[in-house]
Order: sequence, then structure tokens, then C-alpha cells
Amino acid sequence: MDINPVKKYAVKIEDYEAIVGKSTIDELRFVADKLKNKIMQNVNSTFSGGGVAEILDHMIPLLNQLGLDARWDVIRGNAEFFEVTKKFHNALHGNDAAISITPEDYSIFNETSRKNIDELNLKGDIFLIHDPQPIALIAKKKEVGGSWIWRCHIDVSNPDRAVWGYLRKYILQYNAAVFSAPNFAQQLPIRQFMISPSIDPVSEKNREISQEIINSVLEKYQLNTDKPIILQVSRFDYLKDPVGVIKAFNIVKKSYDCQLVLAGGTATDDPESTEVIKTTREFADGIPDVHILEIPPKSDIEINALQRAATIVMQKSIKEGFGLTISEALWKSKPVVASAVGGIPLQIKNKLTGLLCHSIEGAAVAVKQLLGNPDYASWLGNNGKEHVRQNFLITRHVKDYLLLCLAIKNAKDVIYL
Amino acid sequence: MMDWLEQNWLFIASPLAVFVAFFIISLWLRRILFNSKLLNNVKWDGDQYIRQGIRTPFIHWMLLLGVYVGVHISVLPEAGKELADRVIGTLFTVSLFWVCITVSEKLIRYYLNKLKASPRGVSSVVNFSRVAFIVAGVLVVLDIWGAPTTPIILIIATVVLVTILAARNAILNVFAGFELTRGNLIKPGDYIKLSTGEEGYILYISWTNARIKSLENNVIVIPNSKVTQSTVINYGRPLKKAKEPFKFYTRLHLNELTGIKASNIDELVDGLKTVPDAVIYYHTHHFIEEHHYLVPEPANDFSVWTGDALDDTVLSEKLAGIDTYEFTNINALRMRIIAVIEEYISTKPVLHNAYPGREFHFIKSVGLVMPTAYSAYDLREFVEILRKISLDSLYFHMFESRLRLGKGINDFSIWLKDNLDENDIANSISHLDPYNYTLSGLRSAVIQLIEKRIK
Repeated sequence: MDINPVKKYAVKIEDYEAIVGKSTIDELRFVADKLKNKIMQNVNSTFSGGGVAEILDHMIPLLNQLGLDARWDVIRGNAEFFEVTKKFHNALHGNDAAISITPEDYSIFNETSRKNIDELNLKGDIFLIHDPQPIALIAKKKEVGGSWIWRCHIDVSNPDRAVWGYLRKYILQYNAAVFSAPNFAQQLPIRQFMISPSIDPVSEKNREISQEIINSVLEKYQLNTDKPIILQVSRFDYLKDPVGVIKAFNIVKKSYDCQLVLAGGTATDDPESTEVIKTTREFADGIPDVHILEIPPKSDIEINALQRAATIVMQKSIKEGFGLTISEALWKSKPVVASAVGGIPLQIKNKLTGLLCHSIEGAAVAVKQLLGNPDYASWLGNNGKEHVRQNFLITRHVKDYLLLCLAIKNAKDVIYL
Repeated sequence: MMDWLEQNWLFIASPLAVFVAFFIISLWLRRILFNSKLLNNVKWDGDQYIRQGIRTPFIHWMLLLGVYVGVHISVLPEAGKELADRVIGTLFTVSLFWVCITVSEKLIRYYLNKLKASPRGVSSVVNFSRVAFIVAGVLVVLDIWGAPTTPIILIIATVVLVTILAARNAILNVFAGFELTRGNLIKPGDYIKLSTGEEGYILYISWTNARIKSLENNVIVIPNSKVTQSTVINYGRPLKKAKEPFKFYTRLHLNELTGIKASNIDELVDGLKTVPDAVIYYHTHHFIEEHHYLVPEPANDFSVWTGDALDDTVLSEKLAGIDTYEFTNINALRMRIIAVIEEYISTKPVLHNAYPGREFHFIKSVGLVMPTAYSAYDLREFVEILRKISLDSLYFHMFESRLRLGKGINDFSIWLKDNLDENDIANSISHLDPYNYTLSGLRSAVIQLIEKRIK
């Protein structure tokens, strides 16, 4: 069976009517009409891997269908540059890695940024610059004009002050900043908005698939179909705490015969992932029923199948920008156990749309609670799906971006269109 | 001559007597048939044209029958009888088809005028019917006189078949139009809803299509055949029209972060005193839009935070007890929240600080208000639109207008009172406490109230 069809499904905005209702799509059209032919230029650091690239991949065609001229470009950088930006990433998350950021690192960042400023041919009415990697592009603001928005997808609730201070001089030049959760807000003289990321319900990763496809994926990865599956899908990153997940699984395993699947890929802008996979494998060595799956890029349907096959989905992150894999799992009506960090509490309303935890032991207790009470697990999963439908689908995300473009030039609390 | 008459008077008198008898019978029959109660009770509108059309020719046809019988009992030679048969047949055919032409013309004009067809269209159909009957009549006459008609019939049949195939949709629509007007199933002014989704007031029904004014104020042209093939709910005649239509708006929102946060109760009060109204509005209303699908949750963020982050369940309950519906402007609501907190901490200080990461973040609601395509002139349109509009639109008219825009009452009640004099229903809606419903539940409650009124 071909589980990776070459032909990509051409999504139309009308396809979402059955999911979110016609009136929602009508509203999108109305708002988009106010921005007809406006150029919205997005810039980030990679076309594939990670949540940002995934969202843009699905959102750009929809914005274009709605009449905007939405564009997407990426900055170029060598391995050294991405190692530095990974350090920035960790530092913004409040990780100790910031200690190792040297003046030379800043020089590398500045040098690559300068090259990108020179080489990138940007043109637009609204510029959405995603995350710290391309943040220095703001230097082009005077040259190209338009409204510039820094879209931060990272948990900056407790950033390393040195790195934040370094980036702040760029941020202040933007017209506005956008964060994914309220606790990421900073004291800034520019306007700050909260826009949660989203999932695409008709994408390969989230659309309905047949049991046949699910079975074939389980067979491919030699997973036992008779044992409950506890799944964590995420990039191999220390901040996702894969070792902590295995520790929680060890506790659960004492009470329930189940299996753990840690599935993830790597992103081109994340050089750290290979090391994390190695560490995780070493820790899991000798523990039965732990499956560490390196899923190659563009394997969305496999992720979809694994999530649909899972009994419980975990996201035991130490830090989390938002954690879209949670929305993906909720959309599939799966009960979720996740850490109360970053944007996760926006998705998991404790005991209503899932269970929140704050420690390895807490995660294990929650998983056991769900394994022992399938009806409760199912109730949470169904609530979670509705929560995602209302708040975390791509149509809401598109709407927020459109509203942002309109609100950026109007400081009133109530704007009449 | 006289001798011949004497010997054969019976051969002459008998046919004459038969002819006279048929004449008398025809007069008697016409009197019986055309004045009978049976025919008068026919409820079909077209029967009068048929009766008028055949009243006089009926006598002619009876007389021709009398001549036919008379000829056949006469002593005329067989060749003479055969010639007479052909002449009688020809006369009867001409008379019959003439009647068909005049009656069909009247029926066509009657029905097409009911369908508001154009004069040109009517005259085309009448001419087509005339030609059809004349061709058929000529064919019958040719057949009577023994001329070969099969090739002509085949040619005509082919032409007719091709024409029917080419215009089958139009023909279907015309027949459906006849069906609609004949049965008086729907008529201009009725509010209809088709199973295929179209709905609105019928503007008029032509001989090929029905035109309805949709809820979005568009004119929808629906082929008559589609109307007859669909399940149609006819809600009947229009209700009282409003002086001014209710124009449905919707409101979308964006969350703006203020960067202001509180770690303890004093900082919360400080923030409450200084933040804009849009922040108070956000923290007392965002749950309605974000969680409306799950439970009616008449709490506010201040209550949730003091309970969860400051572990003060008593203060949390006191804040949850503030009835937002009592307030008609945000500042009054703000003052009440502050008063509840200050009154509480004056007797029982809240010393606990929120753990790092669990601070209260003040968020501002930026509302973007826009018109929708919908406007209602009466209760029927209003209730049907209510079923269709987004929950954002319902939210705007029931919550945002009342409190944030400071109207003090929801938009629906204002319109019902001012434009339709529907005071009772306006009061009923304004007495609904929207904070105790999910948005879907609130929509159903308003719809039920209006449906009860228009039943």
C-alpha cells in the first residue's frame, strides 16, 4: 500500500466548510477582501522540519486563495550559523546553553544576517519574520517600507537576559511582536499580540485515514497491536525530555502492560537532534517495549497513523513554544498527558480536555489514570477535539493573521471594518 | 318521378328521419351535458374553455353522425357511400382540429399568463400548438383520402424527437411550472425552503423558473423542475415587515498582550485600576468564545487565577459570584471587581504570591466588527438567519453590543421593539441571561422564543 502518495492533495478553502462551518469561511473571505492583493512576505529559516515550516506550508496557499499575495522565503545559513541560532533558541527557553554563547557566536550571527540582508530581495506590505534566526532582516525596513511583525514561536517566558537583550534591539524596530501564549509577553514599547499556532485538519498529518493504513504503519515499525501504545511525537530535543518520558513509562509499566513509542524527526535548523537521539537510545537500551522511531521528513501520514493508533499521547516537554503535536493528538480525539509549560495549558484545560503534569511521577500517575479508565480517557479526547476545532485549526490562524494585518495600523480597541 | 317517390319514399324518409332524430337528440344531449351539475362541479380552471369550445361544434358533430348513419341506411351505391364517408370524415376532422386549436390556445394563454410569461413567449407557444394541430389534421385528412402518410409521419416524428431532446430541460421546466401553478402549491409571497438548501420569499414564478429573494438579499433563480423535484417546506405568507431591517454584524477578535502581569493580589488590584476597559472585557468574556462548546462557564479570569494561583478559594468564589449580566458598562463592572477584592483583603489579607510562571497576564481584546450579508425584515427571515449566522455574530449582538458598546440591552430586543412592536418577545430575549448558556444553547433559546411567536 502506498502510504506516501506523491501527489499532494490540493487543498481549497472550501474544504474547511464542512469542518468549521460556512459562516466561518464567509467571515474569512470578508476580512481577506479588505487586504486584497496586499503582499504578505513571510521569512523563516527552513522550508521543512518543525512547526513553523509546517504551518507556513499550509497557510500560504490558503492566504493566496483568499486574495492576498502571500509569499514565503527563507534565510540562508551554514551549520555554524544554525548552531548559534540553536544556542539562542535554548537561551530564550531559559536553558543553560546561553552560558556558552561567545562573542564569536554573535559575530557569526551578524555576518550571516548581513549576507541575508544583502541577498534577500524582499518586497511587501506586511512582513512576518518568524523566530530569531531572520530577526536582523528588520534592517531592510527603511528600504522596503511596510509593516514589520516579529512572530516569535518560542517560549520566551523566562529568557536568558543577555540573549534577550541582544535580540531586543532588533525587536524594538518592528511595528509589533506576536507570541503564542500570554506568559511569553515582555515589557516592550511596541504592540504585542497573542496568536496561537494551529494544525491543518485536511493535511496528510491530520486527515482521516483508513485502518488499513494505520495497520501497515504499525507493521512497518514492528509495533505490537495488542498492547496499548503510549506515544510522544516530537523533534529529538532535550527540551522535549524524551528520557523523562521513558522514566515515566517505567513507572507505568509496573502496573500496565503497554508499549512506549517515541517518534520524531529532525529539522535542518536543529543540529542538536542527532546527539539527543543517541542519548535517548542509550537510556532506553535494555528496557522492553520502548520504540524509538526516527521518522524521515515528509512522512506525515505515518505520524498520522501512529497518533491514531495511540492509546494515550504524551508531551512531557520541559519547555515548549506551543506544542502543536498536542493539538494533532486532540484532533484525533486522543487523551493527552502533557507538561504545564509554554502554550500547552492553552490546549490542555486540566481534567477537561486532557491532563496536565509537572513531573515525571505526575505524568506516570496521569497515564495510569487514563489506562485504567477508558471512558474518562475517551471523554477527555472528545472534549479535546472540540477545543481544537474552536481554537487551534488553521482557519482560526489565518483569521488571526488577517486581523493582525488590519489591526496593526489601527490602535483602537474596537475597529469597524 | 312521382311513381318512383311513391315506391321508394321509405328509402328517402328513413335517412331523413334518422338525420332529424340525431338533430333532436343532439339538442337534448347538449342541454343535459352542458347544464349538468356533474360538469359544473369540476374544479379544474381549464374546464370552462373546453365547454365553451365544444358547445357549438357538438351539434355539428352529432349532425355529421346523423348524416353518416343516414347515408349508410340509404340506397346509395357503395361508391357513393364511400365518397360520403370521406367527406363526412374530412368535415369532422376539420371541425375537431379547429376546436383543438381554439381550446388549446385559450388554455395556453390562461396558464402562461398565470406564469407571467412574456407576450412573445405566449404567442410562440400558441403558434407552435396551431402548427402541430394543423399538421396532425392534414395528416388525418390525407389518410382519409387514402394518400400515403407514413413517410411524412416519420419525418415529423424525427423532427419532434430532435426538438424534444434539444429542449428537454426547458420542456421539463415548463411542465413543472404548470404543475406548480395548477396545484397552487407555492405562490409569490410565500417563504419556502428547499431540501437543496435554497430558501427565501418567492418573488414570482415564470414558466421556466421560480425566483426567490434569499436571506442574503440575493435573487436566486431556481428551475421549476428543481422545485418540483425537491422537498419544499412552505412557511406561507410573509409576516409583518419591519420599518428598518435588522442588519446582522459579526465581530472577530484579536488578543493583544499588554506585558503587564500580577504576581499577587495587590498587583492584581493595581492592574485592574489602570488597564483599559478592553482588558477587563477580555478577562470577563473570553471564556465564552473559547469554551462555549463545552459548558456555560460564568466565571472570570480573576476568579480562576485567585483560586488556582493564589490558592484562595473564598475570594475566588466571591469573584465568580459577580453577575456580569447586572452591568451595562465595563467601568461599573471593573469597580465591582475591585470592590470585592478590596473588601475581602481588608478583613483577610491574601499574602500568597503566585509561583513563577503562574502570574496573571493582562490581555486586551481588540474587536473587529464587520457586516454580514444577512438582513431580516420580518420574524421568519430573522429566525432563519439566526440558524445560519456564526456564533461570533450571535456573540456580538447579545454580549458585545450590550456591554462593551454600552447599549445596555441586546441588539435583537432593540430591533424587535422598535421596528416590529414585538415588545413581549423583545422582553423575553432581554431577560435571558446569556452568561448562563453556551453560545449554541443561547442560539437555540432565542430561536425557540421566536418560533413560538410565529407559529
